[in-house]
Amino acid sequence: MVEDRSFGGRLFAAVNFTLLAIIALITVLPFIHVVAGSFTTSAELAASKFVLIPKVWSLEAYKFIFSTNTIFRAMGVSVGVTLVGTLVSMFLTALMAYGLSRRDLDGRKVVNFMVVFTMLFHGGMIPTFLVVKELGLIDTYASLIIPSAISAFNMIILRNFFQNIPEGLEESAKIDGCSDFGILFKIVLPLSMPAIATISLFYAVTYWNTYMTAILYLDDSAKWPIQVLLRQIVVLASGMDHSSTLDAAVPPPDQTIKMAVIVVATLPILMVYPFLQKHFAKGAMLGSMKG
Amino acid sequence: MVMKKKSFSIMLAALLTLSVMLTACGGNEKPAAAPAGGDTAKGAESDAPTEIKIMLPLNTSETPPDTIKKELEKLTNTKLTYQFFPADTYEEKLNSSFATSSLPQVTYLKNQTTFIQMKDAIKDGQFWEIGPYLSEFPNLSKLKPEILNNTKVDGKLYSLYIGRPLARQGIIYRKDWADKLNLAPPANVDELFEMAKAFTEQDPDGNGVKDTIGVVDRNELTYGAFKTVSSWFGTPNGWGEKDGQLQPEFTFPQYIDTMDFFKKLRDGGYMNQDFAATSKTDAVKMFTSGKAGLYIGGSMQDIDSLNKDLIKNVPEAVLDTHSMVAGPDGKFAQWMIPGYNNVVLFPKGAVKDEAELKKILAFFDKMMTPEVANLMFWGIEGVHYTVEDGKAKPTDDKELIEREVKGYKDSVIGESETNGMYEPYNILPGRIHAEELLLENVKVGVPDPTAPLDSATYTEKGVELQQIITDATYKYMYGQIDKAGFEKEVENWKKRGGDKIIEEYNAAYKK
Amino acid sequence: MQEVTAQPSRIQPVPEASKSNHEVRKRIWRNRWLYVMIAPGLLYFIIFKYLPMYGLIISFQDYKPYNGILGSQWVGMKHFTRLFTEPDFLNILMNTLILFALNIFIYFPIPIILALMLNELRGNFFKRIFQSLLYIPHFMSWVIVVSISFVMVTMDGGIINDLLVFFGFEKINFLLNPSWFRPMYIIQVIWREAGWGTIIYLASIAAIDPGLYEAARMDGAGRLRQIWHITIPAIRGVIVTLFILKIGSVLDLGFEHVYLLLNSMNREVAEIIDTYVYTAGLRQGQFSYSTAIGFFKSIIGLILVMAVNKISKKMGEEGVY
Repeated sequence: MVEDRSFGGRLFAAVNFTLLAIIALITVLPFIHVVAGSFTTSAELAASKFVLIPKVWSLEAYKFIFSTNTIFRAMGVSVGVTLVGTLVSMFLTALMAYGLSRRDLDGRKVVNFMVVFTMLFHGGMIPTFLVVKELGLIDTYASLIIPSAISAFNMIILRNFFQNIPEGLEESAKIDGCSDFGILFKIVLPLSMPAIATISLFYAVTYWNTYMTAILYLDDSAKWPIQVLLRQIVVLASGMDHSSTLDAAVPPPDQTIKMAVIVVATLPILMVYPFLQKHFAKGAMLGSMKG
Repeated sequence: MVMKKKSFSIMLAALLTLSVMLTACGGNEKPAAAPAGGDTAKGAESDAPTEIKIMLPLNTSETPPDTIKKELEKLTNTKLTYQFFPADTYEEKLNSSFATSSLPQVTYLKNQTTFIQMKDAIKDGQFWEIGPYLSEFPNLSKLKPEILNNTKVDGKLYSLYIGRPLARQGIIYRKDWADKLNLAPPANVDELFEMAKAFTEQDPDGNGVKDTIGVVDRNELTYGAFKTVSSWFGTPNGWGEKDGQLQPEFTFPQYIDTMDFFKKLRDGGYMNQDFAATSKTDAVKMFTSGKAGLYIGGSMQDIDSLNKDLIKNVPEAVLDTHSMVAGPDGKFAQWMIPGYNNVVLFPKGAVKDEAELKKILAFFDKMMTPEVANLMFWGIEGVHYTVEDGKAKPTDDKELIEREVKGYKDSVIGESETNGMYEPYNILPGRIHAEELLLENVKVGVPDPTAPLDSATYTEKGVELQQIITDATYKYMYGQIDKAGFEKEVENWKKRGGDKIIEEYNAAYKK
Repeated sequence: MQEVTAQPSRIQPVPEASKSNHEVRKRIWRNRWLYVMIAPGLLYFIIFKYLPMYGLIISFQDYKPYNGILGSQWVGMKHFTRLFTEPDFLNILMNTLILFALNIFIYFPIPIILALMLNELRGNFFKRIFQSLLYIPHFMSWVIVVSISFVMVTMDGGIINDLLVFFGFEKINFLLNPSWFRPMYIIQVIWREAGWGTIIYLASIAAIDPGLYEAARMDGAGRLRQIWHITIPAIRGVIVTLFILKIGSVLDLGFEHVYLLLNSMNREVAEIIDTYVYTAGLRQGQFSYSTAIGFFKSIIGLILVMAVNKISKKMGEEGVY
């Protein structure tokens, strides 16, 4: 954006910057606390109220969680499921969203309504489990992906973005002999990169956070994704269970371990966004139109 | 257009299976879809290892490796498949497996609450009744009859129990503070109050600032301080007899006395002000950071882990345990749990016949020998623990135990009196004291008379109704309602189904 | 109910409906590949969303898992009657609606404002940094968020109360005082979700043709006027869509979050439908009752979505269907 050099413009920019900086600081402080907590000793964590910079540094928590290969295996599962899942979901979602974005399609309203309806009404855990079981997906990685392949919310948002593309572009492409598939892949998708990036991020985060489906559909604990491990440690460390303090010789995991697992399980997905950010740059649409 | 073809075949498959699915929900007569490891027909010869699939809650951060399992298989001549599922969401897994008839041969529940929920299904005949077979197994028949009785459904036994000491609760307190202020362990509830007051007002940590409190409590009436103190006051355990009828504990005057006790503690600032919103972690943190002097109501065996964290922060701290606190009438009392923490059931859908059931029971019979019980509870001797003075001393490598042994600990049937496993070897004086107090507690133990009883209304909405009482109790302790207000809530409880619960329990009690 | 009956007539756009069958068939044939594109998605919704919906039947039964749906006893409206005659039902419903209103009127506009502010930042460097920081809280589970807040606001040595005392104020009982529950709730929602919520708006702002701003500046429009006349109109469609979808989740307020904040002292304002379902239904294995309550929630959501969708169409927006 060309700079506005007037006094009003500068004041506006300064106020805006300061406000955002304060907001960013407030949002990030607790996360810094968690990161700092993971690098210190449980004694310091218990003694001080809100650690931001550890006085005593310690890698004990990380040594503990990396001392077996479980976390690597779980991380591998999560990365794999997230990558494959996001691809599958984006493919199916984009196809459906594009089809439904065309206003001249007979029956689109019925289908659209059907999709919205599924956001409101759910059959419940057990009937869905039966479908997954009858399709033979139990104990397969596919059970983490296929039963949640399309999110109604994401599909509707993507369809909305597609609808905003000027119809004239599609018309002219059609005259040039492009098929509907051609239009989608050669014109619509490249023009919608911010939207594609956004929806991909939404899917990636959903797959990364997979927990309940893994517990329900996977009997083999070797296939569990990282969230199962994360939640298990967080719950144990928070002492929510009354009954399992059978033997005090093995106390619940330390708070530092809890924080270290949060850091390890969150960092990979946090890193996705900065990579996608370039697609949010201005003029992405114009640039591709010219290209 | 591969996509299209594929999806059509999926659709076809889906439509075909739809009909199957709708009937599959009928459940009962359908042969279990995944007959839990029993696919290959077993010969009758006893030397072939029995294949058993076991489902149980996971209480460690990750599933344990095969170390213990392999030894266990050798000792019991079995081939075991352990399926662990996170304890936190175990009910969901249990319910969905149950509804789709895919429970394995051996199904551990999670706690007493899941057991109560399962009672309907048990009455319906979904699980094997094992009572008649018990006498055939020398070790299983050692299980304590009074606890077995607590786990019976309609007078029949369907489950084996995982034992727990009957009364582990008491006080863990700062002995160094008490010594400094010349206070003896509280002999009665008044002295307990005075101790809390002194810990708050007389600067026991000697830093010149009034920054300590007496009692730290949390948002739990049963496992927090309240229930333990209320039993010292003489309140019955859950239900008590009044004029020949069972009545809930909160209709007894001692319950009100206990609330007054905590109200006074709170008003005086002798306990944490936010206790109604304080989680266990936060309560423990307050204690281990050296801010509070009395931790009441938890298991006294927790002193080891509290001590470990406390001395990191306050190296000179000394902890001790105590539980013999007399009520205003000078009498001692301790509430007791029904003696079990969890039970294990044998679904008929997976265990096909009597012969298979007996083989599985044989496995559990062997589990109740000292050799196997020690393996599952303590691990491998020399690796996970050593024996000193005939007691088990766990290795200092706590992570190794957490990783390899802890997952199996909560699945050992019985208790050390019946399965002969080692008692723990303790070093901390407070812990040794705790073990003595555990035995003292039982001598004045008060059982819950409704433990073996059944009430349909309680099963349907007992938890929801209990909420009314819990809320009223906290509100009373915070001074928001008075005695009349509390009694109004009790009336409310009765009106909304409590009366029926009283009626049903009394009907069952008379039998 | 009017919306329901009106539905079929809207299936086909009015101008086309008047045309002959022949033309419709021709158009369908021309668009055949579009149908092929929709097919896999539609099939997904049918198999994984519509097939399991028979599970809703159990809200009219006394469902026992071991009897299955075919074998369980029919009880008609028993569970709905139980819900509506529950003495606290109105109170719980009101609590739910108030939290929902907070979500709509306080939370909902914040990501939009934040996105506009981020968009006005000069230089991509800070824009990216701020964006990346703002969306981090979304990845902290509610357990963590609530436990961090506890440490800050507790009366037993919490930072905020210590500060209040330091400046000569009275301590405030944030955790137990019922009048603090709603502010705590919405502040935590904003803290955790607002930054994440900006992403979708930023994406639609990115799709705006920069030429529009260029032209506005030529006409001498300042920053605020550009925002008002170009940016906001351009993202209006997304705002309306998200608004309708949010309305649909009217009674879904994040069970875990509220449950963690709930205690005996604030229950009168903090008990919502989802927490009630948990205590009265799921914890006691009352599958039918909890399904019936879910059913009730869905119907309310459906009515609201249909109403709002209709209004948005009257206002010239696309709506969600």
